[in-house]
Amino acid sequence: MIDLKNLTIESAHESLKRGDFTVTDLVNTYLEIIKEKNSDINAYVEVYDDALMQAKRAEEMFASGTATLMTGIPVALKDNMLNVGHIASASSKMLEKYHATYDAGVVSQLKKEGAVFLGRTNMDEFAMGSSTETSPFGITKNPLDTSRVPGGSSGGAVASVAMNGALVSLGSDTGGSIRQPASFTGLVGLKPTYGTVSRSGIIAMASSLDQVGPIGKTVRDVEILFNTINEYDPKDSTSVPKDERHFVGTKVSSGPRASSPDHSETFVPTPLRKRIGIPREFLSGEGIDAEVMKNFNENCQKLKDAGYELVDISLPLIKYSLAVYYILQPAEVSSNMARYDGIRYGLHEDADKLFDVYAKSRGKGFGKEVRRRILLGTYILSHGYYDAYYTTAVKVRDAIKAELAEAFESVDSIITPTVPFLPFKFGEKSKDPVAMYMSDLFCVPANIAGTPAISIPSGKNENGLPFGLHIMAPLFGEETLFAIGKDFEKRV
Amino acid sequence: MQLEEIKKLATLARIDMSEEEMTEIAHDFDSILAYVGQVQEVAGKITAEPIHTLTNVMRSDTVTNTPGEYTEKIIAEMPDTENGYLKVKKVL
Repeated sequence: MIDLKNLTIESAHESLKRGDFTVTDLVNTYLEIIKEKNSDINAYVEVYDDALMQAKRAEEMFASGTATLMTGIPVALKDNMLNVGHIASASSKMLEKYHATYDAGVVSQLKKEGAVFLGRTNMDEFAMGSSTETSPFGITKNPLDTSRVPGGSSGGAVASVAMNGALVSLGSDTGGSIRQPASFTGLVGLKPTYGTVSRSGIIAMASSLDQVGPIGKTVRDVEILFNTINEYDPKDSTSVPKDERHFVGTKVSSGPRASSPDHSETFVPTPLRKRIGIPREFLSGEGIDAEVMKNFNENCQKLKDAGYELVDISLPLIKYSLAVYYILQPAEVSSNMARYDGIRYGLHEDADKLFDVYAKSRGKGFGKEVRRRILLGTYILSHGYYDAYYTTAVKVRDAIKAELAEAFESVDSIITPTVPFLPFKFGEKSKDPVAMYMSDLFCVPANIAGTPAISIPSGKNENGLPFGLHIMAPLFGEETLFAIGKDFEKRV
Repeated sequence: MQLEEIKKLATLARIDMSEEEMTEIAHDFDSILAYVGQVQEVAGKITAEPIHTLTNVMRSDTVTNTPGEYTEKIIAEMPDTENGYLKVKKVL
């Protein structure tokens, strides 16, 4: 029996190369776990029927010596990622029967490496939610405590890894949807810099904020998966060409770069400045659990022990990020969701008049939270309110970006807890939208500014509920996050 | 917020909804708008110029796929077709 709990991409790769087990053995072991646990956890909406065929193709790559680190690695996809021929539904009735007509950029990059897709995972409908309770295909349970939510919207993607039903997974993060669930399930989750990872073939939610990123048990696994999908894609108009990715900050590593077989680059490291900022007044706001702050203070000590200098910084505007987010995001949602009209694809409800075809198809296809956000966005963008909300939010967003860029001139990174509270019980926050939105308080600034951020597990409370440390870095500063993350991970 | 306003938004957004749900949304909007209204307090204090970082990403207008490469798959997703065409309701 393969020890999935302690398996990493590198250890799996070594075993596959040595022949300790085959890709088929590995995939079968995961499929067994899924069979055993998924009926309770509901991480997967669908397990692909071609996983073993993909495994055979990966085995051929090992046989012919073309295997890379990702070859044969079992990966779970979020249900908003197109995998040609398979259903991609964004966990919505609207797209319940929609078959992808092409591969998402990240899917085709991973196919080229011979990664094995096990299936598509449950999510809040169209990624709108923070608990995976808005999926019409049932709730996903937190594998660490099944009476609690796994977080969201990438709840299925984290649950698949946390229940050992996938080695790594891909999620999408518009306002914390990778990092908050990673924190809730004791995993590492990265939201890369806006423009680093292709969004071609990802079902859009709020396009100025959406980003795809990796989820795994260790920082190194997340780094390997990120290096594989960290590619310029001309099919995504917001993808940034590699030569235009300017990192402004202290270089973690510099010197000659050479491409290695796993597509990560080899660096000659120079030391980090090792100075981390703490936005002190942001951490003294309402609604932050004392238990979470106690863990955060312990995390600070661990970083000091690892040789980091911690300094308090002032970011007076950062607390407005969540309010900015809940203006821009529904505005963009209302516009992105306009494409689902019941005419060309997706759910279609017949009616006598064209208007009723639209209204009935959308009324039936969209769930409650999606309908609420479309209406909110319609209001925000309507004549008479546009300037008061949308234009104002864009102005504040720019000021937050500038404030963070200035802060990164004096520190390498900024840390906070990932979530202000611990994983909550089902139904606990679904009646009060603002209480639910608060779970993304610390995650949202990175989406607003487009900067990369990572959540790293930082221990558990006496009831086994996990805490997370959230680290932000300047644009294109993923290496900084991995370096600090690895230093921290060793001390937890 | 008034129910009538929500009804108007539902019409603009082309979504069929029950009156009960619209009443609930009207109530939710009050708390959401009160929360996001914070941006108006702070916006007046911001003096920084907006950041303009947009670059042109338009490509030349050339065919990048094989003719017919996606046709069958796309047609298969249409709710109603006739002789390879998408069938829609009369507009005029």
